[in-house]
Amino acid sequence: MKKQQNAIIELADISKIYYQKSQLFHTGAGDVVALKDINLTINKGEIFGLVGQSGSGKTTAGRLLVKLENPTRGEIYLKGAPVSGLKGRELKEYRKQVQMIFQDPYQSLNPHLSIAETVMEPLIVHGAGTRESRRQKVLDTLETTGLVPATDFYDRYPHRLSGGQRQRVAIARAIVLEPEFIVADEPSSMLDATIAIQLFQVLLNIRERLGMTFLFITHNLAAAKYLCDRIAVIQNGVIVETGHTRDVIDHPSHPYTKTLIASQPSFDICPIL
Amino acid sequence: MSYYFGFMHRFSSNWKIFIQNPLGKAGLALLSLFALMAVASFGLHLLGPMYDPMTGVDPVVSRSVGPSTSHWLGTDFIGRDILCQLLEGAKIAFIVGLASAFISIIIGTVVGMVSGYAGGIVDILLMRLADMVMVLPSLVILLIIAALFGQLNIWMIVFLIAILRWPAVARVIRSQTLSLKQRPFIEASRVAGASDIRIIFKHIMPNVLPLAFLYMTFRVTSAILVEASLSFLGFGDPGQISWGMMLQWVWSSGHMFQAPYWLLPPGICISLLTLSFYMVGRAMDEVLDPRLRREGQ
Repeated sequence: MKKQQNAIIELADISKIYYQKSQLFHTGAGDVVALKDINLTINKGEIFGLVGQSGSGKTTAGRLLVKLENPTRGEIYLKGAPVSGLKGRELKEYRKQVQMIFQDPYQSLNPHLSIAETVMEPLIVHGAGTRESRRQKVLDTLETTGLVPATDFYDRYPHRLSGGQRQRVAIARAIVLEPEFIVADEPSSMLDATIAIQLFQVLLNIRERLGMTFLFITHNLAAAKYLCDRIAVIQNGVIVETGHTRDVIDHPSHPYTKTLIASQPSFDICPIL
Repeated sequence: MSYYFGFMHRFSSNWKIFIQNPLGKAGLALLSLFALMAVASFGLHLLGPMYDPMTGVDPVVSRSVGPSTSHWLGTDFIGRDILCQLLEGAKIAFIVGLASAFISIIIGTVVGMVSGYAGGIVDILLMRLADMVMVLPSLVILLIIAALFGQLNIWMIVFLIAILRWPAVARVIRSQTLSLKQRPFIEASRVAGASDIRIIFKHIMPNVLPLAFLYMTFRVTSAILVEASLSFLGFGDPGQISWGMMLQWVWSSGHMFQAPYWLLPPGICISLLTLSFYMVGRAMDEVLDPRLRREGQ
């Protein structure tokens, strides 16, 4: 694969297989191939969409990127450096640069921690700043995600927030370390359409102000069209089509992409969702 | 500090559920009564040396007599006031029950969290150890140790009960940890770079503590019963009055069927105190598990 100058993340021949356990003789019958020889390059500053239906392996790809799981085969490169086998301090350094926004904001916030504690955790873990500067950083980050005035939210607990507000807190936690790269795993799928649009605006704002790169995982082509510079369409763990968002949606070449586009209700009437 | 405020907020809404439960109400009322008795025991010395539960002897009484104005529940065989002993016994029951339950939930919670979170070989080793301790008969072990090393003092008994009674707590906490471990907020914390220790104590512990406190109420019950049995069999701390020891004196001085005013109070107190902890525990169970609540609550 040709190395591109401004590539921030590269997936080279990534495969992920979930082996069936508790078999005396391994026949391979129950194994699930979640990803098969995936090659992707994500450039600095872009929002890259990974589009596919449920079970297509798109979330697995995100989990591999944040090292919640390890690939069965293949290698992930962050700015040209391989990331498999990172341990201890190096892994921590990697985590500082790659963060994740989870799908369900009702599950991704610890109900026993206040908003401040949740957002501050990455700063504490990485020993960033003093007590006072951390507080200021958390307040600034909450403002960035649109939780204004931030002091109102600072000491609250997740159960007093709406789904959209919770997801903003999750975004604040992901960006507070100012990472280079963020995996957003269907961040809007649990929210209604108007809140989702506001959330996308927040993500676009963040990219503009902090220059972060996003991998946006979604099943919603319209959301991808709204947000992403380039997209890859994934089916059963195989990437079937990659290209600039506009090209892929206007001139789909793979039958699966055509099916996905056809399955979007009233795609032409509502240009956004 | 902010954790404290969140706790208070949840506390007030949970308190309503707790107090609406008849078991919770009755249990708490009984428990308060015993707590008052235990507190009252600290004022006994104000009544004069005659009312010291251990050494105070009424000079005009030389045998066990029934209730009178100077001894509301009567005296034991050498003229010590039974009510005073009962109050002192309440204090000891609380100390033994709460202290050993507290130690055992600390051990059980830590072992359970580590075992559930770590998984693999650590999990197997810790849980097999728990199984081994769980099948040990506490009372028999305590009797053997008491027989080997002579009389145990009260803190030794507390400690021994605690280290024999943690496995049940550990198993419950482990299973709770196993399900918590899969929750996205734990993964979010891992992605943030948090260490395992931090995840266990900052993220998992607050979520299992309510369950740990629920199990503490049941541990209290069993600790009080073990201590009472031990004392009744004559292996208690000879320097401390307890309800079990009062029963032992009734038995050994031959008043079993001659002095109901002496036999019944400690027996009833042991039953009611363990019952009240059990009822409080059941009501807490309902707070923690909404499925146990009746419709409309």
